[in-house]
Amino acid sequence: MGLTGLEEERLAIARLYQRFAFGPRTGEFQAALNSGFAATRDLLLKPPASDAGANRVMAPKIIDLGPRPNQKTSDLIEFNIALRQQVKELPIWWLDRMVQADHGLTERMTWFWHGHWATAIGKLNFAYPMYLQNETLRKYALGNFADQASAMLSDGALQYWLDGGDNTVKAPNENLARELMELFVLGVNRYSETDVRELARALTGYQVVRSSGKVTLNNKRFDAGIKTILGSSTNFNGASATNYLVAKPDAAKFIVERIWFRFISSQLAADPKLENAFQARDIASLISAITDISYLGDPANSIVKAPVEWFAGVARYLNLTPSNLKTSAQLLSYLDKLAQVPFNPPNVGGWPTDEAWLSSASAQSRIQFAGWLIKQADLTSLANVPVKKRVAWLQDELGIFALSNRTRLALEGVKSNPVQLLQLAICSPEYVVSA
Amino acid sequence: MDTITRRKFLKLSGAAAVGATAPMLTFEEIAIAAQARPLPLGTPILIMVTLYGGNDGINTVVPYSDSLYYDLRPDISYAPDKVLKLNDQLGLNPAMSGIKTLWDQNKVAIVRGVGYPKPDRSHFTSMAIWQSGAPETKLNSGWLGRWVESQAVDPMLAISLGSVLPPLLAGEMRSGSALPLGGLVIPTGTFALDCQKIARVASSDNKLMAAAATSMRTLFSVSSNITPILKMPAPVADDLPTTNGGNAGGDSNLSQQLDVVAKLIAAGSPTRVWSVSLGGFDTHANEADTQAELLGTVSTALTRFASQMKNTQRGKDIVTMVYSEFGRRVKGNASQGTDHGTAGPVFLIGDRVKGGFYGDQPSLAKLINGDLAVTTDFRDIYAAVLEDVLKTPAEKVLSGWKSKGQYF
Repeated sequence: MGLTGLEEERLAIARLYQRFAFGPRTGEFQAALNSGFAATRDLLLKPPASDAGANRVMAPKIIDLGPRPNQKTSDLIEFNIALRQQVKELPIWWLDRMVQADHGLTERMTWFWHGHWATAIGKLNFAYPMYLQNETLRKYALGNFADQASAMLSDGALQYWLDGGDNTVKAPNENLARELMELFVLGVNRYSETDVRELARALTGYQVVRSSGKVTLNNKRFDAGIKTILGSSTNFNGASATNYLVAKPDAAKFIVERIWFRFISSQLAADPKLENAFQARDIASLISAITDISYLGDPANSIVKAPVEWFAGVARYLNLTPSNLKTSAQLLSYLDKLAQVPFNPPNVGGWPTDEAWLSSASAQSRIQFAGWLIKQADLTSLANVPVKKRVAWLQDELGIFALSNRTRLALEGVKSNPVQLLQLAICSPEYVVSA
Repeated sequence: MDTITRRKFLKLSGAAAVGATAPMLTFEEIAIAAQARPLPLGTPILIMVTLYGGNDGINTVVPYSDSLYYDLRPDISYAPDKVLKLNDQLGLNPAMSGIKTLWDQNKVAIVRGVGYPKPDRSHFTSMAIWQSGAPETKLNSGWLGRWVESQAVDPMLAISLGSVLPPLLAGEMRSGSALPLGGLVIPTGTFALDCQKIARVASSDNKLMAAAATSMRTLFSVSSNITPILKMPAPVADDLPTTNGGNAGGDSNLSQQLDVVAKLIAAGSPTRVWSVSLGGFDTHANEADTQAELLGTVSTALTRFASQMKNTQRGKDIVTMVYSEFGRRVKGNASQGTDHGTAGPVFLIGDRVKGGFYGDQPSLAKLINGDLAVTTDFRDIYAAVLEDVLKTPAEKVLSGWKSKGQYF
């Protein structure tokens, strides 16, 4: 299935927007086609010094609520109201950033890392530490992975989520140690069960304040003995063991695999050459290498947009601000039906990919969701396009690489009705999949 | 396009072409067919209950007469007078009184020490192994997904509650369907017809786009059948007596899922496999309360479901299987919890089940690296379920696996 040079360029540009920028705003894809792949890539990969769009989003009113008051006092009622408000505000605030940021990459990478260090709010049941974690992930979204991993080791939400505070010299709790090796740094089967147990010893001593996310080290609970991890014996502590793991060649392999899996293909194996770009653990360098046209222009590297990515793309295009949608609760309910709400991954492995998003149930929810969003959007510009030209115009507006005859015919059939045209287009296989 | 993708892509287009020449079912036809062809009475129905997170088997079926149990778990053991005794060695978790009642009616088989060779302690790898049914080879399909593919095409054949399809029901080319809880509103009128147009697989589709199109096609057949049925009340149960470990997947509303299943079974849905789940079993800390609450939920939900179904003509046809991706380490950790382990018990429940214990109880004196030995391969159970419940030869679905248990 060979593409012409022009088609390859169109495909690669479409994917740059779909996968690294939460989708094009009106006119952006057409402009990118004019400036070409290389210039578009430079534009999308280089964060501006200051992002006016992201800065328009006000910081959420999320503060440390302090410990939960005792049962049956009036304080508890107030506390619960405040907590519920924060838990609702947090995902809406982030969705606003995803949609409002002029430069999509930083939020897109923060979103990736959230799925990587997948922490869910349910167990913690405090919004503030989750907010702090989100800011940490944003700070290191394109930075150095070693710094990111160190910061996450001291992240209260992650430590609490994986029982870090319960891991003591007397009898280690392996939860954090195992996931650090399996899901965060090295990848499954790149260590032994003994390594997990030894790493757990190195990670002893952390204590977490649940409401504030404050992490401290308690030396009395720390196992100061010699630990042998992946063949190296020394008196590792959490920080040194994490640095040691991150420096392992398997860490480069793993992070390349994970970023490839979410951005390029969950079906085909990563190109091992990309590990060279991650030698210094610099995330921006890896993103730069992985956006090469040889990967983005290869038709085999197709992925399904996760529900939040689909939503953010639609909202960016339609210029909808998530917090202004009526209502926030309904927005979260639609995302919940599609099984993806920010700050609430299904488990520590993060969200699934590809076919898992293509059940008959999610198809149905997506159609309803699309209708609900379109009702709140201004479709004047689409209505102003002559009926005959609407399908081709909308294809470029949405940044769709190619329409099948099936979809083109279906869209032609409803083109006189802008609402139905748009609803069908954003539910079509060509839009749901980053082809 | 790589060869594998391309081959799959060709196969997919081939399947679409066959559909076009064979009598092509429209959505309306399927809807009518579902009303017109209810599952024949007497057809066995399988309910799969997946417990996500790794349920602690030792505190589910408690070896209460073994002093080693109390030595290894001083903080989180159940005293002999607390457990619901099944024989002079084993007793159920105190929260499982409903299951105990069914056990006393001889309707519960407990297969002990179930697992697979070279146990993996990762939630994801281990659950993938259990759901694929293929410990030695990496298969992307689920064992019940492959069963779906061995049957005539019918989107109602296997249904999972919740909006994400578990790998369990995923096949290579065809999969079971997913059904969300809550309201089912489907497009109507001319827009529904337009949606159906983009639900056809196009010749230019790659694998994922074909799957996206197909998911919409299945949607209309599933939901147009099910919507009127869901409006009916659930069967009434007239004889009923009156979470910390939440990071490893699964749904939290088991009773609600089973209510929907009960309604649909009672209405005659031509569905032979249902999949429901409960999450939260990853009890690294403060296990006792969390696990008891969860096991109580499982026990109550299944008992309630059983008594709902008892008043229908299909009560006798239902077999429920309850499993988790692994058991937990025998020795407790310092957080009053347990870390990831290996073997655990599997429950089979129903009128068709020959109640009692199966498989050897793993010895607490002969631990392998602190973990229980696996005494029964899960494929023995899968083979029995395939052959004795789903009436399908097991070998092909289970990559040549030959032995099976005698639980039915």
